[in-house]
Amino acid sequence: MVQLINRSLAKVKQAMGLATINLKSFPHRAIASSVSILSIACVAAVILSVLAMTQGMVKTLEKTGLDDTLIVMRAGAISELQSVMFPAEVNILANHAQVLKNNDNQAMVSAEMFVNAQMLYLDKAGETHIEKLALRGISKGTYRFRPHFKMAAGVKFKTGIRQVIIGQAIARKIPELTVGSTITLGGAQWFVSGIFSDNNSVFESELWADIGMIQSDYQRGNTIQSVRLALKKNTDITALNKEWQDDPRLNLRIMYEKQFFASQAEDLTRLIRWVGFPVAFIMALGAMVAALNTMYATIASRSKEIATHKAIGFSGVAICFSILFEALLIALVGGLLGILPLYFIFDGWTASTQDANNLSQMLFNFELTVGLMMQTLLFSISIGLLGGILPAIKAMSLPVTVALRDN
Amino acid sequence: MQNNNQKKVAIELININKSYQKGSNKVVVHDNFNLSIAKGEFVALMGPSGLGKSTLLNLIGGLDLPTSGSVIIDNQRIDTLSEGKLSTWRAENIGFVFQSHHLLPVLTAQGNVELPLLLTALNSKQRKQHASLALRLVGMEERAKHLPKELSGGQEQRVAIARAIVSDPKIILCDEPTGNLDRKTADEILTLLTTLNKYFGKTIVMVTHDLRASEYASRVINLEKYIHDSKQNQLSAVEVNS
Repeated sequence: MVQLINRSLAKVKQAMGLATINLKSFPHRAIASSVSILSIACVAAVILSVLAMTQGMVKTLEKTGLDDTLIVMRAGAISELQSVMFPAEVNILANHAQVLKNNDNQAMVSAEMFVNAQMLYLDKAGETHIEKLALRGISKGTYRFRPHFKMAAGVKFKTGIRQVIIGQAIARKIPELTVGSTITLGGAQWFVSGIFSDNNSVFESELWADIGMIQSDYQRGNTIQSVRLALKKNTDITALNKEWQDDPRLNLRIMYEKQFFASQAEDLTRLIRWVGFPVAFIMALGAMVAALNTMYATIASRSKEIATHKAIGFSGVAICFSILFEALLIALVGGLLGILPLYFIFDGWTASTQDANNLSQMLFNFELTVGLMMQTLLFSISIGLLGGILPAIKAMSLPVTVALRDN
Repeated sequence: MQNNNQKKVAIELININKSYQKGSNKVVVHDNFNLSIAKGEFVALMGPSGLGKSTLLNLIGGLDLPTSGSVIIDNQRIDTLSEGKLSTWRAENIGFVFQSHHLLPVLTAQGNVELPLLLTALNSKQRKQHASLALRLVGMEERAKHLPKELSGGQEQRVAIARAIVSDPKIILCDEPTGNLDRKTADEILTLLTTLNKYFGKTIVMVTHDLRASEYASRVINLEKYIHDSKQNQLSAVEVNS
């Protein structure tokens, strides 16, 4: 055992010695290695972007919705936009015994409108811009279901007039939207009375206004799209669902709000991963081939040097590891080159995506966490390892007599 | 008496057969070849190209393996050793000097000479001391900090010799060590090898085409004649026995 450890340590010492020598001659191969370095950098940048986007999106959607709140929509609707509900249905739900009542003995219910609105605004130069945004019509009861809601600037909108408050993610993205500015929604002018925050949830990507005004401006009559309900603690949700499914007056789908947004997050991240990861995978293959080529070329140009090392007495294993070390170094440099600029430029940057279900923009932050950067770096190193392993084996088994004779 | 003789043998090649495949043809390099070299000998292997002089050197140095037969160095059979053990054995027992010296261009003379010492248990300071001593022995102490490209051909070969002797191997194998050098420089290198042989007791086997180089050796083996004579002796032995 002691002999085995000693032998292994000797091999490590040999490999480190050779790796140091390789490092000294690395500048001579820097240009040849730059293709591999750049390929790996591109892969690292793409992978990290996809990871950061998904992470940012998941975090945003995770912060949205409450565990104990039930969201009710029309049966078959997978998003609020697809749902239509009538006041009669809201009344039936509100009068259920399991729905919590407030101090005034009123049911804790929030009926909400959701419109994929086209918003027009003017920039400082007076040019008109158009954005597709989620416009949510809410009532006073809605605030009870948004415990993290805070006014960041200005005041809440007044009911009965065209006033709107905007989420702070939108305000960050469109600096022209300030308190006191005017926007056009559904062909009418709306006054921005305030900017709100909601713990970086998806609601910060929305515009909120009086539900009555939206119903009127968007000609929705008295229909709404979703209802939030606060339930008593002992509520058997399965039984409640069965009861409402059996009620001929209702045609509904119920689920916890948290669960609803989690499933939306899942859909979105799946979409990004389906697009992002195959691209990254193909690029990774390309980078691996580039690394493979570089290392083969390195070995070809250094065959005499490697043969001399073997003749002197360096073991094949030590030579193999020294070549792998160089491949890993290339991958490390490439990985860092892809990660660091992304970190310095895009960390915390607000990106937007179109929510496939609601067809409006969802704003979220790029989350370049240490964990994601480490994952990306490890992936880059794996590319180097895979690209370097075959050339390293070739170097290990290089026939000394042929390499030394070959001129 | 027999024991004393056995002790004196440094290199023994017994019934060596070496062949390799070239396309569909089998090329026989050595056929039942035998050679014995005593400790402290300076042997020059000569003869026309294609007779397998370098192959013999490679077999003795454990860089190549015979198709059949035994390679015994210092009473140890090396052709049966594993690749890893052979590397360790080579590091401890053999010093190589090549025609094209094969110094690492990114290392100074000192760095090149220190290279084999990475395979020993010596620490950095000790490695430096040993390398300096080896460079002093070959008269290159002044050039220790120079890169190979800053040295002349003869100086490079001196550094290569220093690298070959720095770990104090028993045997030095030289493949055309003066092949790329002018006469004067070649004589200096050969004198150096003679010094290592005479005063430091190194067994030296040198492959050369240079007749002058052979004058420095204690034994010259003309491989063509040697192989011919060996075959004759084998035939005679067969006839006597029959």
